[in-house]
Amino acid sequence: MKINPPQRALQFLRWFCREDYLEEIEGDLIEVFEIEVQQSSKRAKWKFAWSVIKYFRPEFIKSFKHKEYNAYGMYKSYFKIGWRNLAKNKGYSLINIGGLAIGLAACMLIGLYVHHELSYDQFNEKADRIYRADMEIKFGDNHMNIAVTNPTFGETALSDFAQIEQTTRLRFYGGFLVKKGDVNIREGNVAWADSTLFDVFTLPVIAGNPKTALTEPNSIVLTESVARKYFDKTDVVGQTLTINNTETRKITAVIKDIPSNAHFHFTSFIPNIEDKSASQDIWAGYQNWNTYLLLKPGVDPNTMTTELNRMLDRHLEPDLKKFVNKSLAEFNNQGDFFKVSLTKLTDIHLHSDKPGELYANGNMEYIYIFSVIAVFILFIAIINFMNLATARSANRAREVGVRKVMGSLRHNLIHQFLTESFLTCLFAMLLSVGITYLSLPLFNELTGKSFDFSFLGSGSVIFLMIGLTLVVGLLSGSYPAFYLSAFQPVAVLRGSKGYSKKSVFRNTLVAFQFSASILLIAGTLIVFLQMEYIRSKDLGYSRAQKLIINNIDQLGQQLEPFKNNLTQVAGVEGLSVTGFLPVNFNRSVNAFFPSPTMDINTAISIQSWIVDENYLPTMDMKVVAGRNFHKGKADTLSIILNEAAAKFLGWGDVLEHKLYRLTEKETSPIAEYNVIGIVKDFHFSSLREQVKPLAFLYGEDRGGLTVKVNSTDMASVINNIEAQWKSISPGFPFEYSFMDQDFENLYKSERQIGNLITIFASLSIFISCLGLFGLATYVTEQRTKEIGIRKVLGASVAGITTLLSKDFLKIVLIAIVIATPVAYYLTYQWLQGFVYRISLQWWVFVGAGLIALGIALFTISFQAIKAALANPVKSLRSE
Amino acid sequence: MKKYQLGEFEEIVMLTIAILYKEAYGLAIKNEIESRLKRNVSMGAMHTALVRLEDKGYIRSHDGEPTEERMGRPKKYFQITALGKKAMEYSRETRNALWGAIPDVSLNVKFS
Repeated sequence: MKINPPQRALQFLRWFCREDYLEEIEGDLIEVFEIEVQQSSKRAKWKFAWSVIKYFRPEFIKSFKHKEYNAYGMYKSYFKIGWRNLAKNKGYSLINIGGLAIGLAACMLIGLYVHHELSYDQFNEKADRIYRADMEIKFGDNHMNIAVTNPTFGETALSDFAQIEQTTRLRFYGGFLVKKGDVNIREGNVAWADSTLFDVFTLPVIAGNPKTALTEPNSIVLTESVARKYFDKTDVVGQTLTINNTETRKITAVIKDIPSNAHFHFTSFIPNIEDKSASQDIWAGYQNWNTYLLLKPGVDPNTMTTELNRMLDRHLEPDLKKFVNKSLAEFNNQGDFFKVSLTKLTDIHLHSDKPGELYANGNMEYIYIFSVIAVFILFIAIINFMNLATARSANRAREVGVRKVMGSLRHNLIHQFLTESFLTCLFAMLLSVGITYLSLPLFNELTGKSFDFSFLGSGSVIFLMIGLTLVVGLLSGSYPAFYLSAFQPVAVLRGSKGYSKKSVFRNTLVAFQFSASILLIAGTLIVFLQMEYIRSKDLGYSRAQKLIINNIDQLGQQLEPFKNNLTQVAGVEGLSVTGFLPVNFNRSVNAFFPSPTMDINTAISIQSWIVDENYLPTMDMKVVAGRNFHKGKADTLSIILNEAAAKFLGWGDVLEHKLYRLTEKETSPIAEYNVIGIVKDFHFSSLREQVKPLAFLYGEDRGGLTVKVNSTDMASVINNIEAQWKSISPGFPFEYSFMDQDFENLYKSERQIGNLITIFASLSIFISCLGLFGLATYVTEQRTKEIGIRKVLGASVAGITTLLSKDFLKIVLIAIVIATPVAYYLTYQWLQGFVYRISLQWWVFVGAGLIALGIALFTISFQAIKAALANPVKSLRSE
Repeated sequence: MKKYQLGEFEEIVMLTIAILYKEAYGLAIKNEIESRLKRNVSMGAMHTALVRLEDKGYIRSHDGEPTEERMGRPKKYFQITALGKKAMEYSRETRNALWGAIPDVSLNVKFS
């Protein structure tokens, strides 16, 4: 029996040993083994194995460098071939790279936007433990969810519960004028804050002591940029600012500017302790403060909420006794309640939109919409790539066949195709960075954010981009790589296999592309129509040619002379002094009672705006019943309601009735108002909401001055008004805005989103068309001979064009069938967010389909007609 | 001046190749050294020497016929090149020169 040397040792030797020595070494070892084995086979085997191990030394181990060199050569060849292919088919390369680059750039921009939106308030070190206390109040027919609490809520919770580490409150103060030299400059983002502000939020202090910064009256904390504005430096602690030309405030601290991704954008803070109402122990009212609670690590917010509700009920009891003479149980039994809930700090920006928010927040809905669009765009671009590559497989198939015959393995071919697609992606990525760079200013303008190009510097972004390039390269290159490399060389070279006219996979991809495009077109149309509806809707007042002048409260005694002077200015038709306007956020809610018994069940909360007798004519509001206010003292206890309030009260003839209200006065705690008029409903909040009950009270509110202008030369009117202002109040800035602009600002986010969706939808359609164009070019090229023969046999141009377009149009029709229900469902959901909305019209979807069909037809026919018009002699001459 | 680099074991391997002349393949060289010099030679060490010598250009190799006892693997025969021959001669000359330079006294004293 012949004994073989140990196989395992031999395998090991073959694994590590250099090829050029292997045979010799193996031979020698086996020769020795053959001799040894005659004495003892076991010994011989051991000796053999040991010898093999002794050969495991640098001289005989395969050189890895050597191996790499080989692969490097192969990859060099892949790159060269890849580059040549790109350069050879310039048209396709342009479509591929251009489409991918636009897609990637769009994704990058959307990514920037989404990332920024999602990062709100994350900069706070204790962000995961900070919660805002929100209240839900049901009181008779009033039911509200508000982002604010009563003044002592946080303080009480802090002393009652060990689970709470700290609490702080913020309240919007508004704006004031700061004196710099001789001029006063308006600072619009001022907040009341507690001294614990810096314990809860991460607001780095540059100068001053955060512990004591907000403990003294008449102190102020500035942000870095405000400090620089007035002093050109940040080291200004101890200096004073002159506020509103009269009072002075001592600067106690300067903090870094608040990041743009914070849910508040204040530029200065003043201490809450100046405000007496901030320390009043009232629980059933005065919900004015955004209260933040910092929980201790590990505290469950849900159990905390239960505890806080118990605390709230406990303190509510005496208040209810005092104000409505009911116990808490009685109050709850009639279905009324006060509830507190906790909103996570990082959820405020995207998930909270309640009355009492410090600033308008974002909307999670749009984050989803944008992410979906980004994915769509990327997929459309990738599909282009895949489709063009597979369509071109006829040309490449022959190459694949020859390569295979020459000994190329399947994995070599896969590598080659993947290298090509990676190369394309790399170019696309580089190009997309360029596109992003160029389009960033435009994007900033559209979104109202301020992204800069520095995001490229961060490691994670670069990592992400490389990752994205690889993933896109793999995705877009995988289908051609695996599909083409599987061809049988014999079949390919004989010409029986390769490109097939009917590719189900390719058609499915095109159908998907067009479904996505139709979805986006329909969505864009709906958003556009809704925006147009809002813009053109009769809002119950006119906002054209209205000038709003700020800082009226600074005029003091000069107000009357100023008003008189203004009426003399040519073009001024009327003016009204009040801060309550449909286009700003100055709001005041009061509880009114229909009877002097003040039964809480019948109370209604009504917006109560203090206006003068000129308000209704200046705003072009219509009185539908009764009369307007008369100038003078007579109407101080008169009230004008809007239709919504009248309807709410449910009286037959409202003008006969009276309304009652609690006042602060001890002597006459109940005020009685005569209803003197009904004004037509007008929209004073977002069209997402129903018009709410509103009442006008007669009085003077110096929050602003609205001037009704009737002139074709607005500029000269403004100049004349400014001249009047300068002559009466030198030193105060003349600030004005147009009411229609303010209105636009109310719907700014909606408009921005609308614009962005339009742009990205157009991009996706453009990329789809690029792909379709490439595909159409290819198919007509393939069928040149067929077309030539058909023409010779008498086919008409129209007939050939139809022939070529038919297949594609079928796909687009299928896409319409798929996309329409989805588009209908999604737009329906979006419109539910608006109380005043357009109804979904069938023609929008038909229109979207037709647009897609039209664009597709246009793209294809370009090639089809060109092919149909070509002289058949040319196409048939060759061969 | 490092004109020719030749280690002690390498020199022995070369001399053995010269002795074996046409029959100088790996195992034969090993057996020859072992029988003549009565020292144990590991296969690995010898192969290392052969690889180095071939790299230096002192020897060259050619494959022989496949043989039964090697399970079909050909023997690899080594031959000394002209450069190898020069290196050996150089090595021998330097030794001789050194031997010749030794004063008689030196060795006599040592042995006495």
